[in-house]
Amino acid sequence: MTDSAAAAILEKLESILEPGKLRTDAESLDTYGRDWTKKHTPRPLAIAFPKTTEQVQAIVRLANEYKVGIVPSGGRTGLSGGAMATNGEIVVAFDYMNQIEAFNAADRTVVCQAGVVTEQLQTFAEENNLFYPVDFASAGSSQIGGNLSTNAGGIKVIRYGMTRDWVAGLEVVTGKGDVLQLNRNLVKNATGYDLRHLFIGAEGTLGLITRATMKLARQPKNLTVLVLGLSHFRHVMDVLETFSAAIDLTAFEFFSHKALKHVLARGEVPAPFEGEAPFYALIEFEAVTEQVLEESMGLFEKAVEAGWVVDGVISQSETQARNLWRLREDISETISEHTPYKNDISVVPSRVPAFLEEIDAVVTRHYPDFEIIWFGHIGDGNLHLNILKPRDLPKEEFFKRCEQVNTWVFEIVQKHEGSVSAEHGVGLLKKDYIGYSRSPEEIEYMKAIKRAFDPNNVMNPGKLIDL
Amino acid sequence: MKVLVAVKRVIDYNVKVRVKPDNSGVDLANVKMAMNPFDEIAVEEAVRLKEKGIATEIVVVSIGPKAAQEQIRTALALGADRGILIETDEEVQSLDAAKLLKGVVEKEAPQLILLGKQSIDTDNNQTGQMLAGLLGCGQGTFASRVDVEGDSVVVEREIDGGLMDIKLKLPAVITADLRLNEPRYASLPNIMKAKKKPLETLSVGDLGVELKPRLKTLKVEEPPKRQAGIKVSSVDELVEKLKNEAKVI
Repeated sequence: MTDSAAAAILEKLESILEPGKLRTDAESLDTYGRDWTKKHTPRPLAIAFPKTTEQVQAIVRLANEYKVGIVPSGGRTGLSGGAMATNGEIVVAFDYMNQIEAFNAADRTVVCQAGVVTEQLQTFAEENNLFYPVDFASAGSSQIGGNLSTNAGGIKVIRYGMTRDWVAGLEVVTGKGDVLQLNRNLVKNATGYDLRHLFIGAEGTLGLITRATMKLARQPKNLTVLVLGLSHFRHVMDVLETFSAAIDLTAFEFFSHKALKHVLARGEVPAPFEGEAPFYALIEFEAVTEQVLEESMGLFEKAVEAGWVVDGVISQSETQARNLWRLREDISETISEHTPYKNDISVVPSRVPAFLEEIDAVVTRHYPDFEIIWFGHIGDGNLHLNILKPRDLPKEEFFKRCEQVNTWVFEIVQKHEGSVSAEHGVGLLKKDYIGYSRSPEEIEYMKAIKRAFDPNNVMNPGKLIDL
Repeated sequence: MKVLVAVKRVIDYNVKVRVKPDNSGVDLANVKMAMNPFDEIAVEEAVRLKEKGIATEIVVVSIGPKAAQEQIRTALALGADRGILIETDEEVQSLDAAKLLKGVVEKEAPQLILLGKQSIDTDNNQTGQMLAGLLGCGQGTFASRVDVEGDSVVVEREIDGGLMDIKLKLPAVITADLRLNEPRYASLPNIMKAKKKPLETLSVGDLGVELKPRLKTLKVEEPPKRQAGIKVSSVDELVEKLKNEAKVI
């Protein structure tokens, strides 16, 4: 882009936006041009903070006129580089479109602007005695628009599904600059293609989501947490099968003792029990009645008798429930100092044991000095593979070896018909690997859809798929 | 040595407390209840004494509604041997609680009586002290360490200036502070075993006590809402505001 074109774009952006809502200072460019990934360097043209859908629309039209890219920016907590602006793009940040605009108690829906922070919606729901069930570690920063664009999942998917399942309607500005009202909050609407679902998980490649009507659930009652020590990883599926056949679980997580060790080393939460087990399952459910609790005890007994489980604890208070959750939720944070290689992959739950064992074996065979940390939302087949950098290995060498690990992992994913990205999206980091999960024909159709909504390829160019 | 531990059923520490619309108290309908956290620490200490071979029997007592059985069962799962529920749906204030506990102490004759330093619902911090007064025995409040030595006990207390060690003759009353220990989780096998442990129910009258509230709650209100913070754009503006608006410099 020539300097004069850049100057013209900036001038026009100034006129579209409210005073002070366009930033070009180095700090803003660096902050808003990146997400949590560290691989690329941000180099955006400018950061625009629109306050209305009309302003967003004007920005998109401007981008089409000058053929300049747009990168949407939410809470910037992404792990796949989907919000990286590396190529002189206009970053559209939704920080000032953060209003919860309407609440409909009868429909149990909330109209949110795209920049509403997940936690803001969760708190709003709670204040109205309802519940927004999509929850994950970054809920305090991530925005609804970003959640939708990556179809965020998190820790309660087994019961409540993904973000997609909580969307009643969307307002979007397409890559062409049209404003569409998708689905109009209807529960039943059999009138053809449901375009709403194309924008969910599209990572901003088709257009910008400006407003969403989100559904709410009733508040869960007396959430109770069990942490069970498993005698062998294989039995995690036996335990899952047994518990989920009898009780509606709200979460079924697993983690290895290697992972737990890092959390316990920090000394903020106590170990679940005295002995140790190679793997643990964390089970959460609503103990609505005494009977449900009794039932869970019975299932525990059965699991012990079968030899699947060696010990277990149950939360006796909300405080204990939270502390037990921390055994699982603090893993990411406590291993971050080891510069972990991270991968977020999924298969159907029944294939998890074989899948995990194969990956474990191949990595251990080639790199016996690597510490592999497994945890994940096993109830929905989603595993987080983390490999810690050995202390003495230089970073560059470690990352180089991890590239090799990627290929092995994704070949095993492909063999088990899984996904190379379960809930983190594709962005820049996984673009080259999408072929392990999608067929060439499917990718062609995806490109055709992209061309229909964004013929000039201005929407988050270079992410997800190349045209 | 027999140890008596008193536990109270209170609103769960993590529940967002809501005031009833008529300002008569805190709304407890459909709210998660749990064992008072300081009492949990007292139970843990008793269990550790038993594991060290010092305590031979742990009796856990609670005063409250029938549902307080749940908290007694939790204590039994943690390692207590039997439970006593003094069942009442009435409001029980500190002095009445102390009188009821005195009745249990006279029946059971424990050498050591452990309580939490206060309950997180009323925050009175009185029952342990009153109980020691009524019994005429020594008291070690705000305990952060407990060492039983023969027929006496050394208690490290957390006080304003630091730590104070006192030696008490047994029997004695000790109230647990936050740093005494870190309570364990109730293991599932122990919860199942706890169901078979004896739990006796007494009435207030059985202990010859008549409940006489001496304090009347006039009104319960939410604390005033904090004002939202503001962002300043420069150090100068901050200094200006601190000087002229907040008037702190």
